[in-house]
Amino acid sequence: MTHSATERHRATPALALVLLVTGAGLVSVLATSLGLFPLFGPARLSIQGYAEASADLRLAIRESFVIAISSTVLAAAAGLLLGTVVLVFSRHRWLVGGLAAGVVAVPHLVGAASVDLLIGDTGLLPRILGLGPERWPDLVGGAWPAATVLEFAWKESAFVGVVVIATVGRRLTDLLEVAAVLGAGPWRRWSRVLVPSALPAVAGSAMIVFVYTVGSYEVPWLLGRSYPEPLPVMAYRLFGSIDLTARPQAAATAVVGAAVAGATVLLVWLFTLGHRRAHGSSGR
Amino acid sequence: MRPSLPRLALLVPAAMLATACASTSQPQGQVPDKPWKQIVADADGQVVDLWMYGGDDRGNAYVDDVLAPAAEKLGVTLRRVPIADTKDALRRMFAEKAAGETSGKVDLVWVNGDNFATGRQADAWLCGWSQRLPNMTYVAPDDALVTQDFGTDVNGCESPWHKAQFTFAYDSARVANPPVTFDGLLAWAEDHPGRFTYPAPPDFTGSVFVRQALYATAGGADQVPSIYGEAAYDQLTPSLWQRLDELAPSLWRQGRTYPRDAAALDRLYANGEVDMTMTYGPATLTELVANGTFPSSTRVLTLQDGTVGNASFLGIPSTSGDQEGAMVVANLALSPAQQAAKADPATWGQFTALDLDRLSATDRGRFDRLPRSPVVPPYEVLSKNAVPELASGWVGPLDEGWRREVLGAGS
Repeated sequence: MTHSATERHRATPALALVLLVTGAGLVSVLATSLGLFPLFGPARLSIQGYAEASADLRLAIRESFVIAISSTVLAAAAGLLLGTVVLVFSRHRWLVGGLAAGVVAVPHLVGAASVDLLIGDTGLLPRILGLGPERWPDLVGGAWPAATVLEFAWKESAFVGVVVIATVGRRLTDLLEVAAVLGAGPWRRWSRVLVPSALPAVAGSAMIVFVYTVGSYEVPWLLGRSYPEPLPVMAYRLFGSIDLTARPQAAATAVVGAAVAGATVLLVWLFTLGHRRAHGSSGR
Repeated sequence: MRPSLPRLALLVPAAMLATACASTSQPQGQVPDKPWKQIVADADGQVVDLWMYGGDDRGNAYVDDVLAPAAEKLGVTLRRVPIADTKDALRRMFAEKAAGETSGKVDLVWVNGDNFATGRQADAWLCGWSQRLPNMTYVAPDDALVTQDFGTDVNGCESPWHKAQFTFAYDSARVANPPVTFDGLLAWAEDHPGRFTYPAPPDFTGSVFVRQALYATAGGADQVPSIYGEAAYDQLTPSLWQRLDELAPSLWRQGRTYPRDAAALDRLYANGEVDMTMTYGPATLTELVANGTFPSSTRVLTLQDGTVGNASFLGIPSTSGDQEGAMVVANLALSPAQQAAKADPATWGQFTALDLDRLSATDRGRFDRLPRSPVVPPYEVLSKNAVPELASGWVGPLDEGWRREVLGAGS
């Protein structure tokens, strides 16, 4: 008990810094959205920013959810597969792990530009296949955010994979050997030992992926269509609007984005808590 | 002794509110009343940060290699601060103004139109200085493009830098009979499905296209009052939205989506996906053709009914700490020698803001000797029948209206 209290003390400076930066950001955005930080003129409390943006906000929330949910599901599935398969076939573990870490290090902006150059209307792939823009599907800027989701899924699956390898890799070596000794083949070792042990790591990293994709601006800006647009793109467009009175709307959009991300984290946390209670805590 | 987190959390909003309360508006910046000689003397040794859009290599090269060395001779160090969007400079200015800064980091801004009007709205410009620049004698005092900036009175808050003309370019190898009027252009687009589109407002270029279309559907530029009014908007825009909605199915990707900005449209044109592009800075066309980005068969479309023209300016923020130096640079930038150097297509190719009739024979000769661009016709041809810009009050409502009525309807 004393030990954990000391530990907590040690974390205080870092925690205070995080709270200070995040808190100041959130408070100023919230105040701007309520008309309390106008660029000029008197400050007046109102929800006009939310009201004026409401029609576009609904579409933006939908677009953000479509992008974030599909990217998260794809990234989690691919990341789980990547991480666990690497662990089963441990001979090439360092190679695949290194490749995944390399993908994580690629900036999203570079990733998005590469995806555009690869599968855009006149990208490398349609050129290799000899397909003109009219016969190539609208992957970039089309009705479905295909290119955006693909970029997120590609980069974030590497992230999920790295987390899985790092968290369950070492711990599971013994367990896998025991399973092998007891006669379990690679498939059984994968489905009965690896996947269940990797699930908490996948769930945790998937939540980070979801929150990240809800807040990411540059990928949907580069690869998405101009309308409807996801929350961050809409917020930035309004923030840069020539109409300075659009600032509260921009901030309102940012607040909604933060609320969507926050609510998701809260829901997942409550769900996990309920799940643990129902199944009994393993003491972790 | 240990820091209390709840107390810290309370401190943050309190500090934020305190800053907000401190940002009461200051009186509009006015130039200290001193003779020009004194201003030049005070400017000596000052460092002027010119914030300008950094995406135009030739503009950057002109400032770095031509303007800055000339300023250095006058004792002023000119530093170019490249920005992605002029609004970045405005954001910095507003933040500095809110903080009560008097030696701000923004000394000079390449600006016009809505960004200028926004700055006026927020009282962020230094005013009453530009008419005192000695080189203003070369600018025609009754030139509407220079006395008004998108309908906002300039009032000495910015000095002219160069002129621009909204221009369409087409690939003459693919467009056999180029249209000669704006209506003809829309008809051409309908006859050639998928070969034309325009950037989605609020992109600057897309926004101009919509204003040009408004002039056409209203029956001429003189039918649209330059100052924005809701009655005029409600009367004039239904036919505009109807025309653009009719046009949409014939556009690239059936008008379900639009290029996000002028750069995206240029990319479509460069890749041969559309046959026309448009720009407010025709000076760039020469280089884009020369370096092979655009096909060599690119030509400028000259429309008989004229296109929108404007001027761009140099503004000094009221928060600048080097205002004298900024005024000396603005005056230098307006000198016939600098204007002629900048107008050279090999340098930047920007049309001069000066009235050539007011120049001495020697100075006029500098302009007469400029080489012609193989792609872009001279300013006299481009600006024939040119129509003025609408007041910036129109820009926001038209951009929003377009998003709602055209973009929203087509998706």
